Amino acid sequence: MAAESNKQAIFTAMREAIENYDSEAATEAAKQAVASGIDLLEAVEKGFAGPIRKLGEAFDRMEIFLPQLMLGSEAMKAGMTVLEEAITAGGGSIQSKGTVVIGTVEGDIHDIGKTVVAALLQANGYSVHDLGVEISASRFIEAAESRKADIIAMSALLSTTMLYQRDVVELLGNKALKDRYFILVGGAPVTQAWADEIGADGYARGAYEAVQLLDSKKESWVK
Amino acid sequence: MNFKEIAKRGETGPLSEANDFLMKRVSANVLKLEKKYRITWDGKTLINLDDEMADRCWQAGRELLLASGIFGMNSKRIIEFSAEEVDEALRFAPAQLPMGQGKDAVTAHHRQVEDPRLPFIFSGPFNADTSEEHFVKLNEAFAQERLIDSLLFPGYLKKLDGQMIRPTSGLASRAAMLYGQWSREAVRRAGRPGMPITGHAVMALNEIACTNEQWGLRSTDPRAMVLISELQVDDVTMTRLAYYLAYGCPIYMSFTPLIGGYGGGPAGTAIAAVASFIAAVVLGGEIVHIGPQHIKFKQQTNMHSLFLAGLVNQAVARNSNIIATTSHTTSGRPGSEQYAREFSALALTAVTSGSNVTGPRPAEPLGFNNVSPLMARLFAEVSHAAAGLKRSEAAQIVAKLYETYKDKIDLQQAPKGRAFEELYDLQTLRPTSEHQALYDRLKEELSSLGVPL
Repeated sequence: MAAESNKQAIFTAMREAIENYDSEAATEAAKQAVASGIDLLEAVEKGFAGPIRKLGEAFDRMEIFLPQLMLGSEAMKAGMTVLEEAITAGGGSIQSKGTVVIGTVEGDIHDIGKTVVAALLQANGYSVHDLGVEISASRFIEAAESRKADIIAMSALLSTTMLYQRDVVELLGNKALKDRYFILVGGAPVTQAWADEIGADGYARGAYEAVQLLDSKKESWVK
Repeated sequence: MNFKEIAKRGETGPLSEANDFLMKRVSANVLKLEKKYRITWDGKTLINLDDEMADRCWQAGRELLLASGIFGMNSKRIIEFSAEEVDEALRFAPAQLPMGQGKDAVTAHHRQVEDPRLPFIFSGPFNADTSEEHFVKLNEAFAQERLIDSLLFPGYLKKLDGQMIRPTSGLASRAAMLYGQWSREAVRRAGRPGMPITGHAVMALNEIACTNEQWGLRSTDPRAMVLISELQVDDVTMTRLAYYLAYGCPIYMSFTPLIGGYGGGPAGTAIAAVASFIAAVVLGGEIVHIGPQHIKFKQQTNMHSLFLAGLVNQAVARNSNIIATTSHTTSGRPGSEQYAREFSALALTAVTSGSNVTGPRPAEPLGFNNVSPLMARLFAEVSHAAAGLKRSEAAQIVAKLYETYKDKIDLQQAPKGRAFEELYDLQTLRPTSEHQALYDRLKEELSSLGVPL
C-alpha cells in the first residue's frame, strides 16, 4: 500500500515537473523513481509522457506558446536522461518512436519553424537532434550517420534557400544513402510539388502535420 | 550612436548561444514586463482603444530592448545599448523621409493615431513568384496605379537562365541586376521614371549589384532589410546596411514579430514588437515595417495579429517620431473577395493606429504571378479612406469584415485566387471586365459597411 502510494507520488512529481516547465524538478523526480526501484518504463509513460503530449496539444490550440513548449520539452529531456541511464544500466532500453536529425538548410538563418517541429517531435516521443541553422548538406548526412537516424528533417524559410534541400537529397543519392532515411521537408515556400520534384519522402505544412506524417508513415522509415 | 559603434559591439558584446538569448533575455523578460506594465488582450478586441495601455506597451518595449539588446546571429555577440543611446536614436529618428526623383519624388511621414493625413502606400508584387515573361508588364501595371507611392519588391524569379538561383551565387548577382533594370524599365514605361522602388527579391549580399543610378536602383530608392524574430540580426543585413547607409539610400527596416513564438501570445509579442521597432531605429532604420506574423495561421489578418498591429502602432505613434508601415499578408488570394476583405480589415486597423501601409500580398501565393494591381488600388483607396476615421469607427467595420473571413483563415481553405495574366488583358494592361466587376462589387460592399471610399 505504502509502496503504491510512494509510486503514485513520484508519478505526480514527474507530471508536475513537466507542467511547471521545471528541468530541475524533472531530474529530481526521475532520480526518486530510480532510487525507489519502481518500473521505470511505467514511470516514463505515467510520469512524463502524458503531460508532454498535453503540452503539444495546448500549443496547437495556442493556450501555451513556444517558450513553454520548449521549457516543457527541456524538462522532459532532463528527466529522461536520468531514466535512460538507469534503464540502460539495467540492460533495458527505452523505445523512442524514431531518431530525427533536424536543421535549417545552408544559407538560411531562420530557426523558429524548425525549433517548433523539433520540440513537438520530442514531445511526441521521437529522439530529436537539432543541428541548428545554416546546416550544409554534408553536415546533415554526417549527423544522420553518426546518430543512426531514421529521419532527416530540413526546413527552409526562403524561396532562395529551399534549393539546398535538393542538394541534401542529391548528395544522399550520390552516396547511395537515400534509402536509409526518410527525408522530410518543410518551410514557408516549400510545397508537396517541390518535395516530389527533389525526391523527398514527405512534406509537412506545419509542426503538427510533421508529427502526424511521421507517425502515419512509420512503416516506410522504421528500420 | 553611429553604425561604426554598432558594428564594433557586434564583435565585442557578451557572447551567447541563440537559444539562451531568446529564452533568457527575450522570453523571460517579456513575461516579467507583461505583468509589470499590465499588457493584456481580452480575447476579443480587434483594435485597441486604450491609449494608456499603448503607452505602457511602449515603456515595456523600450525596457525589453535595454534588457535584451540585439543578438548578432553570426558573431553570437549581443549588441547592448544604454538608455541614453536608445533615447538619442529615437530623438534623431526622421519624422519624414523623401524618396524617388524629380516629379515622382514623394515623402513618407510619421503618422499619429487617427491622423487625417494620408498614409504612404508601398505596393507591388511583394516578392510573389513572378514569371520572367511577365515581369516588366506586371510591375508596369502596379506602377500605373497612381495611388501607389513606391513600387514594392518587384517580384521573385524562381529560375533565371533555366537555373534555380542559389543565394550568394553569380546567378544571384545577375538576378539582382536584372531586377534593378526591369523594375526601372517598368516604372519608366508607366510614365513614372523617378518612382521610388523599395527592395527586391535578392536579399543576400549580391543585392548590392542592383545599384546603378542609370539603369538600376538608385540612392533615392529605399533599401529593404530584415531583422529576424525576435531582436536578432545577421551579417548579411549588417553588411547591406553598412553599404546602403554609406550610399545614402533610405533605409527600410522590417521585422516580423511572431505571435506564439518567443514573445508568447499577442500581448507579450506586442512588447517584443515595440522593442523591435526601437531596435530597427537604433540600427539605422528610417522607415520601420512591422509584419505581425502568427505561428499557427502564418498570415496577418487573424484577430491576434489585428490586435497586435493596432496596439503596437499606437504605442509607436504616440511615443516617437518613427515612420511606421504595416505589412498586409492575407489568407485569401488576389482574384477573390476574401483577399480584399482581409487587407481592408488590417488597413483600417493599421491606418487609424498611426501607420503607413505595405502590401497587400497572399501569405501563400499559388503558382506564378498571383498578384493584382487592381486590388492594390483598392488597398490604397481603403487605406486613404481610413485616414481620419476614429479607431472606434474603424473597429465596427473591422468586426464585420472579420466575421466574413474568420472561418477561412486556414491557408488550405482560403480562396485560391487567380494569376495576373488571367485578371488582366496583357496587351492593354487593363483588368478584365470580370476582375473590374469584382473590384466594383467590393468597393460597393466596403462603402456599405462604412468605409468612406
